[in-house]
Amino acid sequence: MSAARLKASPAKGAPSAPGRPATPAPWEREDGSGPRAKALDVRLLRRLLPFLRGQWGRLSEGLALLLFTQVVRLAQPTLVAILIDRYLLARDSEGNWATLLAVWERLAAWGGQHLPGRPGPLPLLALCFAACAALEYLARRRQAWIIDLAGQNALFELRQRLFRHLQRLSCSFYDRTPVGKLVGRVTSDVEALQELFSSGVVTILGDFVNLSAMAAVLLWLDWKLALASFLAVPLLLYLTAKVRVKVRACYEIFISRRSRLASFLHESISGMSLIQAYAREGRAQRDHGQLSAEIRDAQVVSVGWEAVLSALTELIGSLVTAAILWFGGSLVLEALGQGAPAAAGALTLGVLFLFTDYMGKFFQPLTDLSLKYTVLQSAMTAAAKIFSLMDVDDVIPERLDPPTPPPARGSVEFRDVTFSYPNRPDEAVLRGVSFRVEPGEHVALVGATGSGKTSTLKLLLRLYEAGAGAILLDGQDVRDYALAELRRRVGIVPQDVFLFEGTILENLALGSRSADGRPLSEERALLAARRLGLDEIVARFDRGYRQEVSERGKNFSSGERQLIAFARALAAAPEVVVLDEATSNVDTRTEELLSHALDELLAGRTALVIAHRLSTVRHCDRILVLDRGRIVEQGSHEALLALGGHYARLHELQYRGDGAAG
Amino acid sequence: MSPSRTEAPPDAGQETTALAELKPLLPYLAKHRRAYVLGLATLIAAIVLRLTIPRLLGASIDALEQAGSAPAGATAAARERLLSLVGWIVGTALLGSLVRVSSRLAVLGTSRRIVHELREDLFAKLLRLAPSYYLRQSTGQLLSRSLNDLVNVQTLSGPVLLYIAETALLFGIGAAMMVETSPLLTGAALLPFPFFIVQAGRLAKQIQVGSRAAQDSLGEVSDKVSESLGGHLVIKTLGLEAADARRFQEQSEAYRGLNLRVTRARARLMPLMSGLTAVSILVALALGAPRVADGRIATGDFVAFLMYLQLLSAPTATLGFVISSLQRGAAAVARIQEVMVAEESLPELPGQRPPRDPRGAIEVRGLNLEREAPGGAGRPKRRVLSEIRFELAAGQTLGIVGHTGAGKTTLVQVLARLLEVPAGVLFYDGEDALELSPKAVRRSIALVPQDAFLFSATLRENVALGKPEASEEEVLEAVRIAQLERDLAQLPQGLDTVVGERGVNLSGGQRQRVALARAILVKPRVLILDDTLSAVDTETADRILAGLAPIMAGRTTVIVAHRLSTVARADRILVLAEGAIAESGNHRQLLAAGGVYAQLWRSQEEEQQGPRGRPAPAGGRRAP
Repeated sequence: MSAARLKASPAKGAPSAPGRPATPAPWEREDGSGPRAKALDVRLLRRLLPFLRGQWGRLSEGLALLLFTQVVRLAQPTLVAILIDRYLLARDSEGNWATLLAVWERLAAWGGQHLPGRPGPLPLLALCFAACAALEYLARRRQAWIIDLAGQNALFELRQRLFRHLQRLSCSFYDRTPVGKLVGRVTSDVEALQELFSSGVVTILGDFVNLSAMAAVLLWLDWKLALASFLAVPLLLYLTAKVRVKVRACYEIFISRRSRLASFLHESISGMSLIQAYAREGRAQRDHGQLSAEIRDAQVVSVGWEAVLSALTELIGSLVTAAILWFGGSLVLEALGQGAPAAAGALTLGVLFLFTDYMGKFFQPLTDLSLKYTVLQSAMTAAAKIFSLMDVDDVIPERLDPPTPPPARGSVEFRDVTFSYPNRPDEAVLRGVSFRVEPGEHVALVGATGSGKTSTLKLLLRLYEAGAGAILLDGQDVRDYALAELRRRVGIVPQDVFLFEGTILENLALGSRSADGRPLSEERALLAARRLGLDEIVARFDRGYRQEVSERGKNFSSGERQLIAFARALAAAPEVVVLDEATSNVDTRTEELLSHALDELLAGRTALVIAHRLSTVRHCDRILVLDRGRIVEQGSHEALLALGGHYARLHELQYRGDGAAG
Repeated sequence: MSPSRTEAPPDAGQETTALAELKPLLPYLAKHRRAYVLGLATLIAAIVLRLTIPRLLGASIDALEQAGSAPAGATAAARERLLSLVGWIVGTALLGSLVRVSSRLAVLGTSRRIVHELREDLFAKLLRLAPSYYLRQSTGQLLSRSLNDLVNVQTLSGPVLLYIAETALLFGIGAAMMVETSPLLTGAALLPFPFFIVQAGRLAKQIQVGSRAAQDSLGEVSDKVSESLGGHLVIKTLGLEAADARRFQEQSEAYRGLNLRVTRARARLMPLMSGLTAVSILVALALGAPRVADGRIATGDFVAFLMYLQLLSAPTATLGFVISSLQRGAAAVARIQEVMVAEESLPELPGQRPPRDPRGAIEVRGLNLEREAPGGAGRPKRRVLSEIRFELAAGQTLGIVGHTGAGKTTLVQVLARLLEVPAGVLFYDGEDALELSPKAVRRSIALVPQDAFLFSATLRENVALGKPEASEEEVLEAVRIAQLERDLAQLPQGLDTVVGERGVNLSGGQRQRVALARAILVKPRVLILDDTLSAVDTETADRILAGLAPIMAGRTTVIVAHRLSTVARADRILVLAEGAIAESGNHRQLLAAGGVYAQLWRSQEEEQQGPRGRPAPAGGRRAP
C-alpha cells in the first residue's frame, strides 16, 4: 500500500481532506524547527554513551595515540633548533633553552657510547628526527582509523536501534509524520553525527592539546617573546569569527536559493510538456534566469568573503613572524649591545627558528575552530532530532502475557465500537458499530466516502485502538492477542498494493508464515500464485517469478499488482481476509483474472470486503451499509434494493451515472 | 535509483580523452579570458610575494648572526637592517594578501558566472527539446545535469584551475629560488616528492571511488528506509518486522563496510603530507648541515630553504583530489554536452507557417508508426500503429477505446503533434502537418493526460497556465465545467490555495479535473482527453462531459477511455487492437456489428449495472 494512500486515509474521515493543516509532530516541533542546538550538549552526549559500549578500547587507544602524535610532532622543529644552535652556529645560551640543550648533550653522549655503530651527535640528531617523523606518520594513521572505526560502529548500532524503534511506532504516528523526514533521521542525521568522531570532538581535542603544548613550550623558553607572539591571537580569532559568520550567512542564502532552483527545475522538467503546450517558455526562461543569477550573486559574495578569510589568515601569520623577528631580534641585539659577545645570548637563532615555526602552525587550527564549531553544532542538532524521535512512544500496547489464542475459526464481531483518529479527536469516525461475521461468511461494507469503511478494517487489524466497545476475533478481544498472531489470522489485501524491491516470488512469499511465525517455503507461494492464474502475467518476463520488481511495481499494471496481492494473501492462508477493493478501472482481461482469483482466495474463508464494484458486492452473503460511522442497513443485495433506503440510493447514483452516459 | 548510480564513473584510462571533452567549455572560458588573465597575473604576484617572505626572514637571521660575530659597535647598524627587513616583510604580506584576494575573486567569481551562463543555456535547450525527449530521459537525470554536473563544472573552472596554476607556479618559482641557494640540495630535497605525489594520488582515487560507492550505498539504505516506512502498514499487517529489520541491517552493514574502506584510505592519506615535509627536511638537513657548518650556505638561506620545502609539500596532498575533480568536471561537461546536442525532434523548420484558420478538422491517412521499445536507443523498433485512417470534421467527437497497449496514447500523441510523422499522413484542416509550425499547431490543441501534473503554485495559476491574463470569471467558468467547484469550497484559500508538491495535496481525480480546467480555459480547437477521467467517478465524469458539450460545440474533442460509457456519445468510435483499427463507427453501429466493442459493452454493462436490465443507451447527440 503506498505511503500517500495511507497517510491520506485518516483524512478520508473528513470531506475537507485537501485542506488538512500540516500540524508538525511534537518531536518535530521541539527540535526540528527550533533554534540550533548547543555545540556540546552534555545531556545528548550522555545518551550517545550506550552506543559506544564496546568501543571504549578503540577510543582510548585513539586518544593515547593523539597525545603521542603531538609529542613527536613538536619534537621535530625542536631538533632543528638544536641543530642550528649546537652544530651550525655553536653558540652558548641561557635559561631553559640551555637546559634543553644540555639534555640533548647527555642524550647524544649516551647514544654515542651505547648505540650500535656509535653514531656521532649529528647522525644521531638526524636519526631522532627521522624516528619522530616516522612515528608521527604511523601514529596519526592508526589514530584516524581507530577513532573513525569506533564512530562507525557506534552509529551502526544507533541506526539499527532507530530503525527498530520506527518499526514499532503506530499508524497514527505515521499519519501525522511525513516519511521523508523520518528517512532523513535514519540517514543524513546519523551521518551528521559521524562528524563527531571523524572531524569533530577528536580533532578539536587534538588541536587543543597541540596548541596548549606549543604555547607551554614557547612560554617556558621565553615568556616575554611568547606573550608578544600571542598578542595577535585574539585579533585573529575575532576577525576570523566575524568573517566566518559572513561566509556562513552567504552559504545559508546559497543553500536556500539552490533548493529553490532545484524545485523549480524539478517542476519545469516534470511539467515541460505543459510549459511547451501552453507556450510558457519565455516566462520559464525568465524565472530560471532570475533564480540562477541569484545563486551566482550569493556565490560571488561568498567567494569574496572566503578569499578575505584565507588572505587574512596568511597575513596575520606573516605579521606575527615579523613581530617575532622584530621583538626577538631586538632581544638578541640587546644582549649583544650589553657587551656580552658570544656569551650568554638571551635569545638564540635556534629559539627564534622554533618560535617562527611553532607560530606558523599556530593559526590554522585556530581559524578552523569556528568551522568545527559549526560542524559540532549540526551534529548536536542531528543528535537532538534523533533522540527526540527515539523518545516518541506512540506504540500499540501489547499484552505481555497474551492468553492462549482460541482455535482459529474465522469469526469476527464488533460490539458497539466507536472510534476517531488520534490526530482529529473531535471527529467521530465510527459511532457505535456492531455486527457479527460468522466463519466462512462474506460480508461487504459499502457507503459513501468517509462513512468509516476503511477505519473498520484498520480497527480489526488493530492498526488503531478503538475508542469504546470491543472487537472480537474468534471470540477473543483483539487486544488480548499478540499482534503477530492477530495479523497472521487476518490477511489484508490493500487497495494500493505495496510491492517491495525484490523478485515477484520474494514479494509473494513475504506473508507466508506458518502458525509458529516461521517463513514458509517458496513452493507454497508458487502454488498460490498458480491457483490465481499469475502464470499468465509472469509469462512475459524472461525470468518468470524471479523477475525483479522495479520501482515498487512500476512494471506491473494496477490489476496485476492486485493479483499479486491476492496471491500473497492466499499464500499466507489467513482465516479472515480483509479486502479493500481498488477503484481504478482495469481492462477486461485482467478483470476476468481478478474476479476468478477473488473467488479462489475467498473460498472457505471469512471475508470482509470494502466493495466499489457491484459485482463484488453480489458475491457477498451480506451487505453492511455504513453512513457517517453507523451501520444503517444490512441484508442481501436484492433485499436492500427492495428496502429503498441508503443502499438503493447509492446504487441509483452509480446506475444513473452510467445510464446518463449511455 | 539515484541518478549517480546509473552514470558510469569516469575511468582512469580516460584522462587523455578527458581534456578533449572539455572543448565545449572553451567558448565560455574564452568569453571571460580577461578575468582569467587578471587572475593569473595577480596569482603570479601573490606567489612571488609569498615566496619572498622566507627570503626576508632568512636575511634577517643572517643579519642577526653577523651582528653576533661582528664587533660590538655593529649592533646599531644591525638593528637598522633588521627594522627595514621587518618592514619589508609587513609590506610584502599586506600586498600579498591584496593580490591574493583579487586573484581568487577573479578566478572563482568567474567560475560562478560561467556556470550561470551554462545553466541558462542548458535550460534554454531543455525548453526546446520535444516531449518525446522527456519520455526517454528520467527527470532525475536531467535534474542532475543542471545541479550536480554544473557543480563539477564550477569546481573545474574555478578552484581546480586556480589550484593547478598555483601549484605549477609555486613549484616553478619556488624551485628556482631554492636552486639559487643550492642546486644539489634542491635536487635531493625534491627527490621524495614524486613518490609521495603518486601515493597521494592513488589514495585520493581510492577515496573518491570509495566515497561514491558509499554514497550509493547510503542511497540504498535511504531507499530501504523509505520503502519500509512507506509500507509500514503492510509490514505490520503481514508481520514482517523481523525480516525487514534484517534487510535493513544487511544494507547498513554494506554501507559501513564501504565507508570503512574510505576511512582507511583517508587515514593513510592524511599524515602523508607531514611525512613528505619531514622526509624532505631530513634530506636537506643531512646534506645541508655540513655545508652550513662550513659556511658554504648561509644559515638564513638554509632556514629559508626549509620553509620553502614546507610551502611546496603543502599542496601535494590535494593533488590527487584535483586530478579526479578534473576528470569529474570533464565527465560532467560531456554529460551536459549530450543534452546540448540532443536532437530536437519536431524542430521548427524554415518554411513552416502557422495554420491559416485552425478550426479543428483532423485527417489521418494511413499512419504507420514505429517506436523504440522502452529502455532507450538501441532497442529494436516495434510497430505501434499501423494503417490508421480516419477523418474527423471540426466540431465532431472521436472516441478511442482498446486494451492497454493497443496504441491509444500513441495515437493521441500523434494527433497532438507530439510525435514525428512522415509527410502526407496527418492533416489539420486540410493542411499537411509537415507544412505547419509544430508549436503553432500545438497551441490550438490541448491534450489532457491521465497523470495530470500540477505546478507548486496557486490553483488559479495552475488553471490559468496557458492564459495568465484570464479574468476571474473565465477561470471560474473553467473550474465549474471541470466540476471543481465543490473541491474549491473546501480549499483553505479557494483559488489562491497553493497546490502541487509543496502545497495542498490534491487527489488523483482532483488533479485530473484541474488539468481539464486548464485545457478548457484556453478554448482549444481540439481537446484531447487521454483517459483523463479515469480517477473521476462515473457521475462526475458524466457531468463534466455534459458541461463540455456547449463550449466544445464547433470544436473537436477526442476522448480516450476504458469506460465505454464515456465515449458512447461520440460521433465516431475507433476500437484499437494491436495498433490497428479493429472497428470503427458510432455506438449503435458498433453494437449492431456485434464485434469486440459490443462484447466489451455487454460485459461492462453487466459489471456496472447489476442483474437488473438497463435501458438501451439514449444514443449519440448526433445519431445518424
